[in-house]
Amino acid sequence: MTAVETAPAASENGRKRPEISDRGRSERRLGLMLAAPAVIVMLLVTAYPLFNALYLSLFSYRLTSPEDREFVWFANYATALSDPLFWQNVLTTFFITAVTVAVELVIGFALAMVMHRALFLRRTLRTAILLPYGIVTVISAFAWLYAFDLTSGFVNPWFGLGEYDWFGGRWSSLFVIILSEIWKTTPFVSLLLLAGLAQVPRDLGEAATVDGATAWQRLWRVTIPNMKAAIMVAMLFRTLDAWRIFDNVFIMTRGQNDTQTLSFLTYQQTITRTAIGLGNAVGVLLFLSVLLIAVIYIRGFRVDLSQVRGDR
Amino acid sequence: MVERTRTRTRYGGSRGTGRGARATVAVALLASGLSACGGESGPPTLNWYINPDNGGQARLAESCTKAAGGKYRIATSVLPNDATQQREQLIRRLAAKDSGIDIMSLDPVFVAEAANAGFLRPFEEGEKAQFTQGVFPPAVENSTWEGKLYAAPFWANTQILWYRKSAAQKAGIDPKAADFTWDKLIDAAARAGVTVGVQANRYEGYMVWINALVESAGGRIISAAERGDDAAIDIGSPAGRQAAAIIAKLAGSKAAGPTMSTDDEEAARNLLNGPRGGFMVNWGYIWRAQNGDAKDGVIDKSIPADMDWARYPRAVAGQESKPPFGGIELGIGAYGKHKDTYAVEAVRCITSADNMKKYMIDSGNPAARASVYDDPEVRKEFPMADLIRDSINTAAPRPITPYYTDVSGAVQSRWHPPGSVDPNSTPAESATFIRQVLRDQALL
Amino acid sequence: MESTRSKVLWIIGAVVILIWSIFPIFWIVMLSFKQPGEIGNQPGFFPKDWTWENYETVFSIDLFTSALINSIGISLIATFIGVVFATLVAYAIARLEFPGKKIILSFALAIAMFPVVSLVGPLFNLWRDIGLYDTWPGLIIPYISFALPLAIWTLSAFFREIPWEMEQAAQVDGATSWQAFRKVIVPLAAPGVFTAAILTFFFCWNDFVFGISLTSSDSARPVPAALAFFTGESQFEAPTTAVSAAAVVVTVPVVIIVLLFQRRIVAGLTSGAVKG
Repeated sequence: MTAVETAPAASENGRKRPEISDRGRSERRLGLMLAAPAVIVMLLVTAYPLFNALYLSLFSYRLTSPEDREFVWFANYATALSDPLFWQNVLTTFFITAVTVAVELVIGFALAMVMHRALFLRRTLRTAILLPYGIVTVISAFAWLYAFDLTSGFVNPWFGLGEYDWFGGRWSSLFVIILSEIWKTTPFVSLLLLAGLAQVPRDLGEAATVDGATAWQRLWRVTIPNMKAAIMVAMLFRTLDAWRIFDNVFIMTRGQNDTQTLSFLTYQQTITRTAIGLGNAVGVLLFLSVLLIAVIYIRGFRVDLSQVRGDR
Repeated sequence: MVERTRTRTRYGGSRGTGRGARATVAVALLASGLSACGGESGPPTLNWYINPDNGGQARLAESCTKAAGGKYRIATSVLPNDATQQREQLIRRLAAKDSGIDIMSLDPVFVAEAANAGFLRPFEEGEKAQFTQGVFPPAVENSTWEGKLYAAPFWANTQILWYRKSAAQKAGIDPKAADFTWDKLIDAAARAGVTVGVQANRYEGYMVWINALVESAGGRIISAAERGDDAAIDIGSPAGRQAAAIIAKLAGSKAAGPTMSTDDEEAARNLLNGPRGGFMVNWGYIWRAQNGDAKDGVIDKSIPADMDWARYPRAVAGQESKPPFGGIELGIGAYGKHKDTYAVEAVRCITSADNMKKYMIDSGNPAARASVYDDPEVRKEFPMADLIRDSINTAAPRPITPYYTDVSGAVQSRWHPPGSVDPNSTPAESATFIRQVLRDQALL
Repeated sequence: MESTRSKVLWIIGAVVILIWSIFPIFWIVMLSFKQPGEIGNQPGFFPKDWTWENYETVFSIDLFTSALINSIGISLIATFIGVVFATLVAYAIARLEFPGKKIILSFALAIAMFPVVSLVGPLFNLWRDIGLYDTWPGLIIPYISFALPLAIWTLSAFFREIPWEMEQAAQVDGATSWQAFRKVIVPLAAPGVFTAAILTFFFCWNDFVFGISLTSSDSARPVPAALAFFTGESQFEAPTTAVSAAAVVVTVPVVIIVLLFQRRIVAGLTSGAVKG
């Protein structure tokens, strides 16, 4: 905090001048010093483990038989990539991600519209919507698990489904997992979209109305194009978040009935099986897949990250 | 005695976290978090990691602390519910060379892995006898790795066939008959419109069932486990196919419960208590749980009176069944400070015939020493004592291998859901898959 | 322009949203008041016999009480340190000219997208080697680093909006620089810092992956992880109602924070992420 009090005088107007003065140099030093603790912590927890994972993934290595450790080059990657289970997990993860993101965009947009327009209940609505956002994911998973569970749930009696076992099949299990994920994370999407909605110039919509555009046309021609940035940012965030889904699967199905996701697969190898080498290979592949998705979004869809960072 | 104290569930926690502490502010919390590993005065403390059992082991710890007369005290910490997760916790701590694990309650199937990794202190020749004499052979077998005893059998478990007398009558069968097979059981139950409860969720309990079926049919899942990833894999044998045929038959029959593919022990018990309740294979805890629930009014009082039991059904006619084996063995951590002294003494106290009997009556978990079953008190409390003793005596352990988690996981992955099991392909496929997993050539 | 009909529609929409948001929470509250024996016998929405039993049960379980203390302590400490770090960075980014600004922001963004599970294996090994495994700092450090990105964006977006000139104006009016900072800047910055703190706290409170991977006993295990390992009375019993009661206990702080600081959270989430 002491830095805060010395700095303001130093920096005013400083940012427009390219020449490096003494003041500029000390400002640089101060800036780096202020950023250092955060950057160091972030590096400690990500960079080192990531390189360590890369290194360990080249070994055939089990925690319970350390003396059998053996350098195997990329054999673990070959094993993972040629294993149908890996690809099945990729598919499951992709399915969950695609469905949740698509549904959340639609519901999130509807929520944002209602919140934007609501005259009464505005505050109540925002409060209510924030509840799922703040709830612990594990608890959301338990709530939905118990709701659909045959012994404790109300869903089957309410909808006359008798003894239908939701967690006995792949797609019905995924349905409940996705439902829980949607409930928990739609508020985040809708808040981002609400911020986007607020940026759509009102007069544009009014002008379109005067020109005789229907509500539907206004939505597609005026509102949505004007909030494209917000939509893309929400999509990027949610896609990467859904791609890492773990908590729900762990609580609800433990991966049975082919509901394993990539994160769960990684956990299963490294932590449960203590197959450190193979597990880290899967972990690195998961990391690469996240990287790939981010690149696709940023390059392919031209998500403008300066919007995200709040740059001017 | 049988009463289950719902509101005062006693989990034997070690460090007392007083209620007042809950209001403490962050700074104080940090301090307490850091000081948790600080030194303490008084007699040395042995940390015993226990599986949840409603406080039975915690009470034994108290009484053995008293018996030690101030030499040491035993504190308990509870592990998770599920055997696989218990292992996960212990293995990770032991891999971190945690000196805070003195004694641990191990599921028999994980002894070999921990022993092979050097996480357990083997018992010396001179100590061996007191932990093995009069103890059921499968328990000793499970506690032994490469000729050395690595754990002391504490209690032993087995499954028997529990059923409603009324259902058996309706189905027109006598489960106590000498040649009672799974085939007869499933057919009769389907005819009578009642269910056969099993454990077929994708978890260790399913492996218990599969292994018992394979062994009862005269086969094994794997053998020559000491050869590591070259172990002989026998699940593709005719016995494996017979086991698969039984599972497929039940899964495809009306006698299967509606949630068979996610059923665990309690789900099977709920099924037995439900309107279509008929039969189930389950562990020894059932008698206690059923009587307790009836007393609490959770289930109808008439249900325990309607219950009867028989030996685990046969997989093939004319061949004695080999019921599942379970229970708990006590291992001593290889990194503990008191591993050669107090820990051995404490284990000796806990596993004495007297304490085994006390524990059996207190918790409902069957003792590992056969003599306990002759005790009149035990016989009064457990009308099926003889059946349990005989079942444990002839029970078949699950594969004893340091790679047990992989073997079990591989079997579960190929045999689940039970509805997909095909006697012609599943056993052979799972054999190939076990080999791949053992060689790190497949994900699980 | 709004007709009565569309007004009614908006209200219906609002009510549907209300129900959708609150319903699962309401359900878990109902579950937590059921007798344990009701599970498996009379499935239904409302408890047949209301009881506090489950709450008594969870608070008598050391596993839960210690997990609650762990969760509260670890989350508060991580939040405090994280917000201090984030404030420093955000201030530097908003007010100072130095190289690597963009890199820091992009790096923080990358961290926010990082698949946490990829890291727990190596982190487990590292923590094991340096003795952080199953300790409070062993969770606090990863919590800080993964909560930092959100806090940094929220704060740097917020700090940009602060009229820093006012500080100088105050100094011209004769205030010392400390007074100017305390009287002018702190009140302006405090809401942003506070918002970042709430969001960070939510993040830490929510964590599950680190909680189950980097702890193994009640000395550091947080509540979400403890819930997943919750046991019934005997080895085989499903503790549905007790888990529900524990879930409600853990949800109460969230509800209180949301009720009190709804506007702050909305502002933080939206300003940090999308800026026009």
